[in-house]
Amino acid sequence: MILNKVLASYTFRFMSIYVAGLSFSSLIVLAVLYLSYSYEQFQELGPSISRQIDELQTIYERDGVDGVNHLLERKVRVAEFNAFHYLVVDGNHQKIAGSLDSWPKYRDYQDDYISYYLDVLGGDLASNEIPFFAQSRRIANGHYLLVARHYSDVIYITNIVQGVLLRTLIVTIVLGTIGGVIVAGLSVNRIDSINKNVKRIMSGDLSQRIDWVNQQGDYRELTSNLNLMLDRIQMLMQGIRQVSDNIAHDLRTPLTRLRNHLTQLQDHPNGNTEETVQSLIGEADDLLSTFNALLRISHIESGKQRAGFIKIDLKVILLDIVEFYEPLAFAKSITMTQNLADGAEIQGDRHLIFQAFANVIDNAIKYTPEGGEISVDLLVTQNAVKVTMCDSGLGIAEEEKTKVFRRFFRVEESRGVQPGNGLGLSLVSAAINLHGGDITLSDNHPGLRFEITIPV
Amino acid sequence: MRILLIEDDSSVADYIVKGLVQNGYEVEHAVDGKQGLSLATNEVYNVIIVDRMLPFIDGLTIIENLRSIENRTPALILSALGEVDDRVNGLKAGGDDYLVKPFAFVELLARIEALLRRQDSTSAQTKLKIADLEMDLLAHKVSRSGTSFNLQPREYKLLEYLMKHAGQVVTRTMLLENVWEYHFDPQTNVIDVHISRLRQKIDKDFEKQLLSTVRGAGYMLHDPETE
Repeated sequence: MILNKVLASYTFRFMSIYVAGLSFSSLIVLAVLYLSYSYEQFQELGPSISRQIDELQTIYERDGVDGVNHLLERKVRVAEFNAFHYLVVDGNHQKIAGSLDSWPKYRDYQDDYISYYLDVLGGDLASNEIPFFAQSRRIANGHYLLVARHYSDVIYITNIVQGVLLRTLIVTIVLGTIGGVIVAGLSVNRIDSINKNVKRIMSGDLSQRIDWVNQQGDYRELTSNLNLMLDRIQMLMQGIRQVSDNIAHDLRTPLTRLRNHLTQLQDHPNGNTEETVQSLIGEADDLLSTFNALLRISHIESGKQRAGFIKIDLKVILLDIVEFYEPLAFAKSITMTQNLADGAEIQGDRHLIFQAFANVIDNAIKYTPEGGEISVDLLVTQNAVKVTMCDSGLGIAEEEKTKVFRRFFRVEESRGVQPGNGLGLSLVSAAINLHGGDITLSDNHPGLRFEITIPV
Repeated sequence: MRILLIEDDSSVADYIVKGLVQNGYEVEHAVDGKQGLSLATNEVYNVIIVDRMLPFIDGLTIIENLRSIENRTPALILSALGEVDDRVNGLKAGGDDYLVKPFAFVELLARIEALLRRQDSTSAQTKLKIADLEMDLLAHKVSRSGTSFNLQPREYKLLEYLMKHAGQVVTRTMLLENVWEYHFDPQTNVIDVHISRLRQKIDKDFEKQLLSTVRGAGYMLHDPETE
């Protein structure tokens, strides 16, 4: 079962292909090695025979038969020359001196080289039909010289080389295949366990995670990434659940109120109709604007608006916002100060940017007590613009700082005290994200410090 | 006043037709782009209300067609989810105003009245006058009964818009779009604060109150004695 799985696994197939490729390339390397080695060996045969025949000629012409015999005795003692055989014959190919008995039958080769199987030798060599390689030469007195070299040693060595190379190849293939099975087995095992986990999680319990403790290296990274993805999915699902819960919760109250007022109107048609209807319309409008805000946020988050981005000057927009909200601040005796740098040009949607910063200022004014202070600063750096909006209001508790951007999240103390639908900062976050920006919330001792950085 | 409504959603169309008829307008309703374009080219209307997404021919194409044959009938575009780029495209195509669904009927009514008014007074005016309130557009001076006021630039612009649309309901959204020139949704009614500031300056010391609030709709600058 497991073996089938291993053999069918991608890793094994990959390893097999790899081993095949490796074997093929080592085969080529070995073949080249073998060929060049034997070529060199055979290449050396010719010149070595030539040297011997030169020597034989010199000695024979100088010292005659005695010289040749003396030469042979000398050569026999040197292992290197064991492979050589010498023969001197007269014009009728009758032996005069040498270590061969008779002039062999030979095939002619170029440049006086001849090759033949020699059965003229006694002992081991004769019975084995050792191939020889020889050169003959006719000298001045009409005699012939012959130097033959058997190359069984060369063949023997090249055979050894060949054997070694072949065995190496076989070992490569065998070890490679075994290694492939082991590696594939390990990976199948690991992937199997990940798969099992994933299936289990898919089948329902999103809170479970893949066990990554037993994993190593890239598998560990894979599992931890899968887990991070699960975290993200879970967070998104929770977010969606929370949003729909919140929508249900936040819209139920005004809808119930609306319904109650309508019932009252039905029961007392002669009451103060004008006023009641007016407040009903107001409540319906609030509901509508909540839905519009929701739709707007999801539209912003879809990123489609990026197509309409143009160059905008943030300073101009911030000045407009400060001017727009100044009467509201003035009514609460809040001092608004501003320190805006020039040249804060970004690519963006001016209406959306206005809306985002307006929401922040609006909140600042809402949550800053009478006589407080609000400051708006704009800083321009090399590759970003930074807007800092500080107030001296209530601030936001540390643990709630990340929550305030969630849809419908409202700080508990402000529910029912301050108007609002809990979507203002969600929109800010969506809009700033659309512009590639970042939001940081920090404490202003007292109050809230809202930092927005947008890349230029 | 004849209005052509080109809208394929029957419930929205009924709602608009009913409301407009109640307000004394004569309304014709086309259910798709083809019918709408043929009515708009062959008949004469004071205002055309056109939905963006229509069967056969879309709203922007209708307006572009009309403008190409020199038909200058004011056109108000309705769109499902109005976002800024849509708005820009709508106005580029030759639309005169842009309204996002869902909208309050008063908003539509106020905009139609503004479009009709625009048709009346396209000639360049140099002076605006409502009762004893006067605005000199060339000298940028405002006075009432001879006493001149010192207005902030934005207050001036606000008053100018209100005076140009005197006798008409002007909604908060219209003010945002035309005076502040931002299309956005203020979370609090800051506009009311701006209006009350303006009111402080132009109405406070006078018996006749010119700038009134229209409940559930917006504001209106008018001379109460002329009605």
